[in-house]
Amino acid sequence: MDFYARTLIDYAVVALGMAIAMFVVFQVLVRLGMKREAATGYALILPWLLGFIIWTAYPILASLYYSFTNYNVFQPPKWVGLDNYIKWLTNDRSFWPSLRLTLLYGLISLPIGLALSLGVAMLLARNVRGVGVWRTLYYLPAVIPAVATILLWRWLLGSEGLVNQILSPVYNLIGMDKPSWFVDERYALPGLIIMSLWGVFGANTVILLAGLKNIPTHLYEAVELDGGGAWAKFRHITLPMVSPTLFYTLVLGMIAAVKTFEPGIFIKLNSLTTGTFLQVLVYGNAFAGGNSRMGYASALGWIMLVIIMVLTLLVFRSSALWVYYEGERK
Amino acid sequence: MATVSTPAPPKTALRTSGIGSMKVRRMVSDVITYILLVLGALVVLIPLLWMISTSLKTESELFLLPLRLFPEVPQWHNYIDVWRIQPFTQFFMNTIFITVLAMGGEILTCALVAYGFARFRFPGRDILFIIMLGTMMLPGIITLIPTFLIWRGFERIDTFTPLTVGALFAWGPAYIFLLRQFFLTIPHEMEEAATIDGANTLQTFFYVMLPLVKPALLAIAVLSFTGNWNNFQAPLIYINTLQKYPVILALYAFSESLSKEAPKWHYMMAMTVIMSLPIIALYFAAQRYFIEGLTVGAVKG
Repeated sequence: MDFYARTLIDYAVVALGMAIAMFVVFQVLVRLGMKREAATGYALILPWLLGFIIWTAYPILASLYYSFTNYNVFQPPKWVGLDNYIKWLTNDRSFWPSLRLTLLYGLISLPIGLALSLGVAMLLARNVRGVGVWRTLYYLPAVIPAVATILLWRWLLGSEGLVNQILSPVYNLIGMDKPSWFVDERYALPGLIIMSLWGVFGANTVILLAGLKNIPTHLYEAVELDGGGAWAKFRHITLPMVSPTLFYTLVLGMIAAVKTFEPGIFIKLNSLTTGTFLQVLVYGNAFAGGNSRMGYASALGWIMLVIIMVLTLLVFRSSALWVYYEGERK
Repeated sequence: MATVSTPAPPKTALRTSGIGSMKVRRMVSDVITYILLVLGALVVLIPLLWMISTSLKTESELFLLPLRLFPEVPQWHNYIDVWRIQPFTQFFMNTIFITVLAMGGEILTCALVAYGFARFRFPGRDILFIIMLGTMMLPGIITLIPTFLIWRGFERIDTFTPLTVGALFAWGPAYIFLLRQFFLTIPHEMEEAATIDGANTLQTFFYVMLPLVKPALLAIAVLSFTGNWNNFQAPLIYINTLQKYPVILALYAFSESLSKEAPKWHYMMAMTVIMSLPIIALYFAAQRYFIEGLTVGAVKG
C-alpha cells in the first residue's frame, strides 16, 4: 500500500507548490507595478501555462531533437541527422502498410459513420415518441470503455463468433467461406471499420441531433410553400444548416482516427501485410520489445503530426465550399 | 405537396382525400421511422446482450451450435471465479485511486484557468487562449516519449504519479474551453457584489462563481471520470507490477492469455462487464451531463 502513499505525497507536494507559485507570481507582478487584475489573471492561468511549458512545449522540442538521434534510453542520444526519416523509413517494412491501414480506416469509416449518424439523428428529430429513450440507447456504445468494445468485437467477429453464425446462410448462398475477420488480411480492415462504426456513431448522433434541433422550423415551412419535397428540404435546409456541426464531428473524428491505438494493441494485426495503426508502431518502437528505439519512434510521431496537420488544413480549406455559417456575410 | 400538382377534383372530395392521403403518408413515414429506429436499436443491443450472455455461459456452451442467447443455466459464479483468479479488488482500488486524484486535480485547476481566461484582462490573453485551443489538435504521441523520459528522470516509472500528478497542470483544453464559455454567461454584478462584501478573488471564485457553473463542473466531472477510468495507454506505458494494475491492464493481460486452446471468453466477457458497469451506471445516473459535455463544443463553438 505504500505505493499509494508515495503518489499521495507527490501529489500534495506538486499541489502545494502550484498554490505557492500562483501566490508568488501574483505578488511579484503587483510589486513590479502591474495592475491587480492582470496579475490575478496570470496567477490563475499559471497551472496551464506551466503545464504547457513542461508537458507540451518542451516535449515537442525534445521529440524533434530525439527524432534526429539514435536513442535507446540507456546510452545518451547520438546525433544521426535525417537517418531516422530516410534510412529507417525505407527499411521499415511495416511503415507503408500501417500508413495505408490508418488512412483507409479513417477515409472509409468516417464518411459512413457520419452518414449513419446523420440518418439516425434525422429520424430522431422527427418528433418521435420517447426521443430521450432512443438517444440514451444509441449513445450507449460510445459510453462503454473502448477497450471493452474491442474485446467484445474480437469475440463477435471470431471465426466461430456470433456475426459469422448469423451470416452463415449468406455465406452459403454466395459460396464463400466463413471469414476469420481479424486474422485474414482481406477482412481485417472491414472488421475494424464495423467495430468503430458501432462504437462511435451514437456519440455523433447526439451531437448532430443537437445541431438539427437548432434549425428553425420556418425554414422548412418556406420550402413547403415553394412546393419543395423531402429531398429539397434535406438538400437546401438540413444539410447547409447542419454543416458546421458535421464539420466539427469530421475534424474530431479525423484526429481520432489518426490517433487510433487500442484496437491495434488488443487485436494482433500483421504489421507487414495488413499493417497496424501508426500509433501502435510508435509504441512498439519506443516501449515494447528489448531494444527501444526512441529516436525512430519520435520520427514516426512527427510524421503523424504532419499527417494530422495536412489533413486538418485540407478539411479547413475545403470548409469554405461546403460549410455554411449563418452569421457570415459574403 | 402531392396535392399541389394534381388537377382539381370537386371541392369536398379534394378536402377529404387530400387530408386522408396526408394522414396515410404521415403514418407510413412514421412506421418506417420506427422500424428503422428499432433495427438500429437491435444493432446496438444485440452485441451488448451477447456480452452479458457470454459472461453467464459455461466454457462448453461457448461454441455450442445453434447459438443461444440465453445460457441453459446462468453461471453467475463466473463473476466470482474471475474475482478469484486475479486480485480484482486491488485492481479496482488502483483504478479508483487514479481516477479520483486525476479527476479532482483536473476539475480544480481547469476551473481556475478558465476563470482567469474568462474574467481577467491581461496582455497576451487572447493569443495564449488560442495556443491552448491549438493543443487540442496535438497528437499525444508527440509528447509521449519526452514525457516518459521526464518521469523516468524523476524515478517515477511504475508508480501512479505520472497518471495523476499531471492533472494538476490543467490537463484538458476542452474542459477549460467549456468552463470558460459558462463563466462568460455570468453577469459581472455577481462578482462586484461579492467584492463589495469584502470577498477576495479566491473567495469569490469558490463561493460565488463555482456554484454558478455547477452544471458545467458536473459535465466535466463525468467526462474526466470516464476518460481516466478508460485510459489505457498511460498505464500500459507506466505501470509494470501486477499489484499496481488498474482494471483495464488486468483485462489486457487476460486477453493476451486467450488462445484457441484456452478460449475462456466467458471469463473475458465477465471482466468486460465488470469494467463497464460503473461507467454505465454513471451514464444512467448523470445522462444529462454526458450529453451536455458532448454537445456544448459543437453547438456553441
